[in-house]
Amino acid sequence: MTQERTPSATAPLEGRLACGRDAAALVAQVADGAADRRDAHQRDCPYCQAALAEFDRLWAPVRAVADHRPQAPDGLLDEALRRIRGVAADPEFGRIEEPRGRTRVSARVVVALARHLASRVPGVRVALSHLVAAGGGPETSLDGGPEVTAGVAGSSTVVAITLAAEYGADLVALGTRIRAVVADGIRNSTGLEPVAVLVHVDDVLL
Amino acid sequence: MSVPGRDPGPGGTRASAGLDDEADRWLVGRARSGDQGAYEELVRRHRDRIYRIALRMLGSPADADDVAQEVVIQLWTALSGFAGTSAFTTWLYRVVVNRCLNHRRGQRPHDQLADADHPRVAGPESRVLAGEELQAGLAAISRLPEDQRVPLVLVQLEGLSYRDAAAVTKTSEATVRGRLARARATLMSEMKDWT
Repeated sequence: MTQERTPSATAPLEGRLACGRDAAALVAQVADGAADRRDAHQRDCPYCQAALAEFDRLWAPVRAVADHRPQAPDGLLDEALRRIRGVAADPEFGRIEEPRGRTRVSARVVVALARHLASRVPGVRVALSHLVAAGGGPETSLDGGPEVTAGVAGSSTVVAITLAAEYGADLVALGTRIRAVVADGIRNSTGLEPVAVLVHVDDVLL
Repeated sequence: MSVPGRDPGPGGTRASAGLDDEADRWLVGRARSGDQGAYEELVRRHRDRIYRIALRMLGSPADADDVAQEVVIQLWTALSGFAGTSAFTTWLYRVVVNRCLNHRRGQRPHDQLADADHPRVAGPESRVLAGEELQAGLAAISRLPEDQRVPLVLVQLEGLSYRDAAAVTKTSEATVRGRLARARATLMSEMKDWT
């Protein structure tokens, strides 16, 4: 007596299906996100169709992990960066005197704001920012030079932007755009007056 | 869902996946010369990637937090060992994966994943909870043997090519393919009760 085979809801993960197809190949097909792209045999084969459907269901939790794009929790890496930076690395504050009180702005706020603003100027590939002593350095440097770390003084600040530009960008025009964007942004956001924005194009990237 | 084993990965181009090797190299060069601002920018660019790999490798947000912080401190001193012959991200994947493996090996038995953190494959009554599939997937992946888990995370989940995954793990592409196939079969088997 022969027993008739029917498509099973528990298809084997190894070996061959009743139709002769390699089960591992079907597992790979599902894991590659191609369960719906069936070849001519699979379109007519109930064993393959049952196996693909089951494997696709079993794979759903892994698919959920692949689709999940978690972000690092806010502040997670700040402590690690502080340990690298050193505890006394950020003593500077800018001061804005107003009739009803005083606002102090950390130097790091100005640095972060300047970097954020500069990095979004078209033609800038990646930008870094530093605070420099007032009056130090040329307005635009294309050949580098020592950067002097200092803080904001009173309500004035001087910011240096060091950047890598997109290859082909007009670097002088780029410097002009960066100075305008960064100065306006710092003035509007913090109330501090950017005395100068120094732009140093360190590299061009293809 | 990514289609694994292809370069550049699930997001299409490397740029669209948030990767800019040239900019990374520029930042690494400056960081190696002592520019902490460049290092911080490097970390900002890759912080989510570091955390995501750790979470996928370890299955626990708390462990991923710990490893991500350790990696940020370790990278600062390890940058001098980055030869620049491969993409920074390839080197970063290796550092994070190794850190995760060391973290897991260093855990005492009672520190390992608790059922309360990641319930084993769930029945239908609890599956209605949001994220249940995700939790079951993370738990199942975290239980894979490490030689299967690493290629699964790198190729299946992170979308690295077999070649890049082989470079990260310092094995051959054939080894990566074989281990990935075993990981897939193991996960399918593990999920048999997922109904």
